[in-house]
Amino acid sequence: MDAFILLGSLALLLAIGVPVAYSLGIASIVGAIWLGMPLEGVMIKISSGLSSFTLLAIPFFVLAGAIMAEGGMANRLVSFAYILVGFIRGGLSLVNILASTFFGAISGSSVADTASIGSVLIPEMEKKGYPRDFATAVTCSGSVQALLIPPSHNAVIYSLAAGGTVSIGALFLAGVLPGLLLGTTLAVMCLYFAHKRGYPKGEAIPLKQALKITLDAAWGLMTMVIILGGILSGIFTATESASIAVVWAFFVTMFIYRDYKWKDLPKLIHRTVKTVTVVMILIGFASSFGYIMTLMQLPLKMTTFFTGLSENKYAILMLINIMLLILGTLMDMAPLILILTPILLPLAKSLGLDPVHFGMVMLVNLGIGLITPPVGAVLFVGSAVGKLKMEQVVRSMLPFFGGLFVVLMIVTYVPLVSLFIPWLGGLVSDQQICAATSLFCP
Amino acid sequence: MEKYLRIMDWVYRICIWLSGSAIVIMTLVIPWGVFARKVLNSGSSWPEPVAIFCMVIFTFFGAAATYRACGHIAVDMLVQRLSAGKQRTLSQIVNVLMILISMFMMIYGIMLCQTTWNQSVDSLPILNVGLTYLPLPLGGFVIMLFIVERMVAGTQSHRPIVTYDHAPELSIVKEGGL
Repeated sequence: MDAFILLGSLALLLAIGVPVAYSLGIASIVGAIWLGMPLEGVMIKISSGLSSFTLLAIPFFVLAGAIMAEGGMANRLVSFAYILVGFIRGGLSLVNILASTFFGAISGSSVADTASIGSVLIPEMEKKGYPRDFATAVTCSGSVQALLIPPSHNAVIYSLAAGGTVSIGALFLAGVLPGLLLGTTLAVMCLYFAHKRGYPKGEAIPLKQALKITLDAAWGLMTMVIILGGILSGIFTATESASIAVVWAFFVTMFIYRDYKWKDLPKLIHRTVKTVTVVMILIGFASSFGYIMTLMQLPLKMTTFFTGLSENKYAILMLINIMLLILGTLMDMAPLILILTPILLPLAKSLGLDPVHFGMVMLVNLGIGLITPPVGAVLFVGSAVGKLKMEQVVRSMLPFFGGLFVVLMIVTYVPLVSLFIPWLGGLVSDQQICAATSLFCP
Repeated sequence: MEKYLRIMDWVYRICIWLSGSAIVIMTLVIPWGVFARKVLNSGSSWPEPVAIFCMVIFTFFGAAATYRACGHIAVDMLVQRLSAGKQRTLSQIVNVLMILISMFMMIYGIMLCQTTWNQSVDSLPILNVGLTYLPLPLGGFVIMLFIVERMVAGTQSHRPIVTYDHAPELSIVKEGGL
């Protein structure tokens, strides 16, 4: 009954169009009244949820990414990717994917990735003879890498939703291999289509010019070196490294690249205010919602329910995947991470999954949700940039959905893909690795 | 009516300025803290509480302004299938619910400020805890102003001041998507 009141009121509020953040707030109030709990408690949870030092990393990462994306970074990353893979058959589609990999290293936003890489490459690909729907489909699918390749503010949101018990550094490193796996899978598919459909080769870039482009892009890619280097060496915390990334992004854009106008800066801040505060207020209200869920023992009940369905871990994991995929097609990523992590993480732990590994499963699942209809932020932006109907893009994306699903299965059932690099970096212990591998390789 | 909307434009502008200044200050004080600790070897504890205070200001005033810009994430898939008349009724119900939550933020926010007014922040004693929570009720008040505006005058997300930041090449990016 508790669950029905809380989740039912949330579903109703969402259905009639109350913004997600405020729906969570109202549902927590309803839940608190139902439990006979004083409402001050809800308010305290909202304010304490927003007063954490870790949370600062989110506005910083988004701001750093926005400065880079709008300050001419996208063009430079595309040129850099062109040097590396442009000369191959189907080169521009590979450039598109590789540019997204690089873009993921400066920003964690798939939407920003699609908007900036897409607006450079979709027209360019069409000019060289690629169908526009294929170009848009590649852009959208490739942009999912941005969620996984560090830095990823969604990983920070997951870490917060997990109660701050999962190290952000470990999550960042964990994203590297799944991100590259995703990129490689898409690239192999693009190569196949290029040969089958006869997409053109690009030309090789003369060495001198290539060096200049590489140097240019290196300034931006240093961002990731600063962030990861800082966190791994223990020089700064994730939050501090994110703030330094903003300063670095600002320095590179305004003094090295110099193609962003000073008078446009207030607009950039205005935009960042609008995009980030939406997520921040969501985190505040989600922490009160999570608190009420815990009081109602929903996570425990959910774990009992799922483990009662089947004895088989693989089957339960598959069920979780299906549930996440379905919810992901209906709702945005950040609210789902915030609502579902407190429920599903205890379940995942009871199955013997490492929280870092489960974070990756969640990010890949919800990342796929961003590019699937009916609701997919990346798909909307991609269709708008490509000036196509959503249905056309979805049709050319069908084979890529297949590829992404294979990646999801690998990330779900092979924990080493997520845990190997954090283990190398010393952020995941030997025991965790053993526990994770023995679970899946008896 | 136009005069009223112009006053609300000012409220919006103040929110964006407060929120924008807060994020700029945040991004300056944290690197300063690192610099002081690593280079000047004089670690100070004030940047952290200052940045968190700025983040609370940033969140609540920014979220209020974003409400005017219709930027919050909402599920509109079901609502869009209804007739225009039903959509209007539903949006008024949503407005009433939003008024309720903003009143909750105001009333319980003020209570929270009152009970914590005499505690000082550990790492920065001149700041009191109650003050750091003040953006909650204030943000609740401002968002209520915007909800009332929407109830009387309809959505104002098209006002020039609200669309001021739309970059031509990125204007297709739906706000709220990250």
